[in-house]
Amino acid sequence: MATTFLSRRMLIGVLAALGLLAIVVLLSLGVGSDNTIGFAQVLAVLQGAGDDQSRMTVLDLRVPRTIIGCFVGVALGAAGALLQSAARNPLAEPGLLGVSAGSATAVVISIALGASLDNLQVWIAIVGALLGCSVALGVARMSGLGDDPIRLVLAGAALSSMLAAVSSVILLTDQRTADEVRFWTIGAIAGRNLSSIQPAIPVLLLGLAVALLLARPLAALALGEKVASGLGQRPKLVRTGVMISVALLVGSATAMAGPIGFVGLVVPIAARAIVGPDIRRALIVAVLLGPSFVLLADVLSRIVARPTETPLGVISALIGAPILVLIVRSQRLPAL
Amino acid sequence: MDRLSMTSTSAAHDVSAPILFNGRPAGLWVLRFGRFSLLLDRRAWLASLLLLLATIVLVGLSLGSGTVKIAPFEALAALFNQGETKTIFIVRDLRLTRVLGGGMAGAALGMAGCLLQTLSRNRLANPDTIGIDNAATAFAVASVVAVSTTLAPSAMALTGAITMLSLTFALSGGAGTRGYRFLITGLGLGSICGAATNLMLARAPIDAANTAFPWTVGSLNNRSGVFVNLLAWGVVVMLPLAVIVGKRLNLVRLPDAVAQSLGVRVNRLRFFTIVLAGSLTGLAVAVAGPVGMIGLAAPELGRRLAGPRTVPIVPAALAGACFTMLADLLGRTLFSPTEIPVGIVTALVGGPYLLWFLLRTPRGKQL
Repeated sequence: MATTFLSRRMLIGVLAALGLLAIVVLLSLGVGSDNTIGFAQVLAVLQGAGDDQSRMTVLDLRVPRTIIGCFVGVALGAAGALLQSAARNPLAEPGLLGVSAGSATAVVISIALGASLDNLQVWIAIVGALLGCSVALGVARMSGLGDDPIRLVLAGAALSSMLAAVSSVILLTDQRTADEVRFWTIGAIAGRNLSSIQPAIPVLLLGLAVALLLARPLAALALGEKVASGLGQRPKLVRTGVMISVALLVGSATAMAGPIGFVGLVVPIAARAIVGPDIRRALIVAVLLGPSFVLLADVLSRIVARPTETPLGVISALIGAPILVLIVRSQRLPAL
Repeated sequence: MDRLSMTSTSAAHDVSAPILFNGRPAGLWVLRFGRFSLLLDRRAWLASLLLLLATIVLVGLSLGSGTVKIAPFEALAALFNQGETKTIFIVRDLRLTRVLGGGMAGAALGMAGCLLQTLSRNRLANPDTIGIDNAATAFAVASVVAVSTTLAPSAMALTGAITMLSLTFALSGGAGTRGYRFLITGLGLGSICGAATNLMLARAPIDAANTAFPWTVGSLNNRSGVFVNLLAWGVVVMLPLAVIVGKRLNLVRLPDAVAQSLGVRVNRLRFFTIVLAGSLTGLAVAVAGPVGMIGLAAPELGRRLAGPRTVPIVPAALAGACFTMLADLLGRTLFSPTEIPVGIVTALVGGPYLLWFLLRTPRGKQL
């Protein structure tokens, strides 16, 4: 077991992902929306030197941003890998299925009822994500496994557009909420401070732990429900676990950064391309690749429209949508 | 294999030739003109008549309600220049544009939904999710907040819809089996437009953002008469086309090989269906903005009423018109004088319906 698990491919995959992550973290610390603070200043600051301005920029802006990006990437990458495996559908992604939209709508509702983004309750985002996730997986169950990958996506799209309309209702009638969440609903990891995301971190780690526990049962479930039952797994329990884990992960990510789409689509697909379809390996590589994707998108968000920043959600959609089109155009999907 | 055989039998059952009683097909009316004969599906025609009646009632109610109350019958009469001059002025000059816009937009969305659902054999395919309305919204919002242009938001919305339709077609490289490739490509491109819309709304000064906001939910307030006319003509022209396409699509419910042997050029039909559905959606969105759920619910009602034998283009169009006018009527009257945009009413009413629709036990019936 151990020898097959740690195959050469897996080792290479993990090392490549770690290497990429290191490079991207450096970029995230060193690249700004203008050129005043570069790598040299960052290195100086990290050694305890540097002038006040660069100290403030690096320690108060870029370091928190990078850390939040890592957390968000881990959460969305893991959630995407779990959902794709459980729904047996390469297009099953928290954004496309309406999980993120459910979470975002719940947050918008809570803000309209008097909460504030600064002391956002994580559990609200999680409840919303749980709702979206249960609808998505409920649809996946009905469609007949592996039968029709598009059905799930269309259901998710319908759910998302309905939820977006509900958010719009609130934003149209409530000026205070509209002001507060205008930027948040696009999804961004800029301008958040570490203390405000702290409550979400334990939830995220809990979700990740559940995800790692589920990897083995999910690998069995990939063989088919009957085989999995024969191997001593309980498919229903596993699916419920997936739902809870995805809700915890997406809910906490949304609470940190707002709804960010396509991370859960692109990252697991890249992970599977590197280490093969086994969820136990793909999950681990997806967890490592997720932060790289989010941080890379964030670095791009600083430089595509200098000197202003483009929110992360826009960049992520710009990267993710073409990849979605490519996936649909390739021959990989059955019946496309 | 099991699945495949099941599909083909159920589809064959749905569109099979009607059983003959006394030499005449059951459930059909036969019109004969010398050598030519026309088969009319009795249930579909009755459904259309019923929905037409409902549409007329709703037109009367919509024209009649407002600050000045007019009895529905009087309002309908005023539509044809009968009655007091004041009433005629109110009905024809003030209220007609809005009611016509709502009804026609609903009809267009209903037809587009019916075409897309039949094409993809999937009840969830609908014009809200193929990106056209996201693009129209993005362009309309851009014209309000970002780009200085003399074009009205409606014109920009139409431009956006056309751009997106051609872009999606180019990128998806055709319709793909059952039109899926097109649907998903549109979905992806639509999400880019959605992000762009959010970005523009966030960046814009708050006043401009508020002005543009109705374009993101779908509303019939103060829509330009020119575009309502354009939409109305579009619907009038495209309705017969859609009916013809629908008749051919009925054969595509059979396996492709069978449809081809019956003389259907399947790929061309797919292309034509999507162009038709896309144009209808584009025109509707240019007038009303992204009104959701109509394209999903109207064909469903049409199918329920018209039965499984036909592709219910006309019932879906009428049902769409009814839904949209009803939603607008509710939005105008429920909390008057505050007016709720029609898109919000459809979202609030449609949301629970959608959840029920997604989570109910499937009956194993295919389109």
